[in-house]
Amino acid sequence: MRHILSFLAICLIVATGVPASAQDPVTQTRESIMERQRGLGLSGDYSLPSGQPPAPEAVQPGSVPQLGTRGYASDSDIWRALRDGSANATPSSSTAASQLMQVIGDDWRMIRHDYLIKYAGWVLLGVILLIALFYLIRGRIMIRGGRAGKTIPRFSMSHRIAHWFLASTFILMALSGLIILLGRPVLVKGLGEWLMVGQLGMDDSVVTTLKSVNGVLNSAALQGHNLFGPVFILSLLIVIVRFMKGNFFQKADFGWILKGGGLIGGHASSNHYNFGEKTWYWVVVLVGLMISVTGLFLLFPWLSDNLRFHQAATILHAIGALGMICFAMGHAYVGSVGMEGSLDSMLRGEVDVNWAKEHHDLWYEEVTGEKVSHDHDDTAATGAGTAEGTA
Amino acid sequence: MSFIEFVEGPMFYAAAAIFVAAGLWRIIGILRIGKKPDLAPPRGSATAGWWKGNLRHFFPRGLFAERTWMHILGGYGFHLGLFVLLFFAAPHIAFVERFTGLSWPALPRWGFIIAAEIAFAGLIVLWVRRFSDPVMRQISDWDDHIGTWLTFLVMLTGCLALQESVVALRATHMLFVNIWLIYFPFSRLMHAFTVFLSRGATGASYGRKGMNP
Repeated sequence: MRHILSFLAICLIVATGVPASAQDPVTQTRESIMERQRGLGLSGDYSLPSGQPPAPEAVQPGSVPQLGTRGYASDSDIWRALRDGSANATPSSSTAASQLMQVIGDDWRMIRHDYLIKYAGWVLLGVILLIALFYLIRGRIMIRGGRAGKTIPRFSMSHRIAHWFLASTFILMALSGLIILLGRPVLVKGLGEWLMVGQLGMDDSVVTTLKSVNGVLNSAALQGHNLFGPVFILSLLIVIVRFMKGNFFQKADFGWILKGGGLIGGHASSNHYNFGEKTWYWVVVLVGLMISVTGLFLLFPWLSDNLRFHQAATILHAIGALGMICFAMGHAYVGSVGMEGSLDSMLRGEVDVNWAKEHHDLWYEEVTGEKVSHDHDDTAATGAGTAEGTA
Repeated sequence: MSFIEFVEGPMFYAAAAIFVAAGLWRIIGILRIGKKPDLAPPRGSATAGWWKGNLRHFFPRGLFAERTWMHILGGYGFHLGLFVLLFFAAPHIAFVERFTGLSWPALPRWGFIIAAEIAFAGLIVLWVRRFSDPVMRQISDWDDHIGTWLTFLVMLTGCLALQESVVALRATHMLFVNIWLIYFPFSRLMHAFTVFLSRGATGASYGRKGMNP
């Protein structure tokens, strides 16, 4: 009886359990496999071949289909199809339809790590060094002829409140943003691993401590950044509206550019705002709006389920913010220690008459009706240039 | 004893005791000053004047409204935002409940965030006005700036600890809260309580004379 059963079983296996490939209507020949391996007949795309892979029921339970050697869909084809989304496979919880594996993150991660984080700190450091170098070479730009002792109003209270409101929120956003972006590379990699362990030979535990510190700082910075973001947008909109008047480019700006803002070619006339100030204003408008919009998409990710958009938003947000920080450092320098009398305009709302004549002569003439003489401005062309303020 | 245990324990008890005792001492001191007897016959009600004095100052005078709208907005934004933060933030209610057993409904997280945004915007605007306005700059001293900055730091550290997952951040917040409580009764921060006394006293004086405060 046992022998009979064994015989019947063998017959059954021979009759029904032969490998699916042997019965496949899309039979693969050795030539077709080789052709495929040479990359021929792929019609330029990497989607799954039209020949359907074996139906699950055709595969013996417990067996592993050797798709690659059969020339059907090799493992690499399957993974490639999953990567480019043509496999039409999706996790049920995903917001990205038909996309099981998100690989555009590879590019995003590469840009973020290999370029953005790698160079951001150096760019900021470079700008600080440039400003310091400029200060060492040029020194503080003094008011030619000294202060007159008489002042004229330049910015109203609402102008000043709008300016400092934006400045305050920008500083908070910049500091928290830099901690989020550069906290780990600076604190853990630079200070801990490179300096303390690598150079000073300290124990590895210091890196662990710095990681904890970085974690605390990042938690705080993230909350602060998210919280102050909308306040920053509000202050930005107020500044855009309040400072728009007078910040459109005018004829006198060409002369200002040609004379390098007074550094070359003698006195550079300007209106209420000079070319540098106007440029800064439009940087604030355009870049500020860009980082605001991208920031909103980061803060409220449900606004879009396009992952490429979110990835681009993080990169653009960081690049825009870094650019603004660099510009802002230059602006803050010229508006404070870099130039005598500049800070008065934003602190007190009034500027010294001589400062106004020197840096914004056309505006001074417009306000007072008094003609400004530049007879004594020759020194500007010989190296004692004014570098008209962008405060 | 850990740092968080210290700032939420003995230091907080001490700070709260100083806040209450010194605050009462100042208010009772003000009330005890009294006023000179007014021998002139009254032309109006001092009580009505007291209420008028308090209520009318909630609104800007017509002549000044245009010039002062920014600091009125900032002032209301900051004070209302801070009030909401202080009494309706879930962590604060939980903290009060821990000590007293008292509890009340908390704002949802988004409400808390909006209140914080408004309070921060208001405080920054008020501080900027303090150093930008020539008159405000003249009448402001260190007490005003310290009070502003301490309040700002209390709010800031509180918001930085919003994730509620890092003990060090909560401890930092509590440290500033304690410093703020200790500083409060000896500074102009006391205006939170004395404002009603001073407005009321002025109003009562005017009311008795039959004038609008």
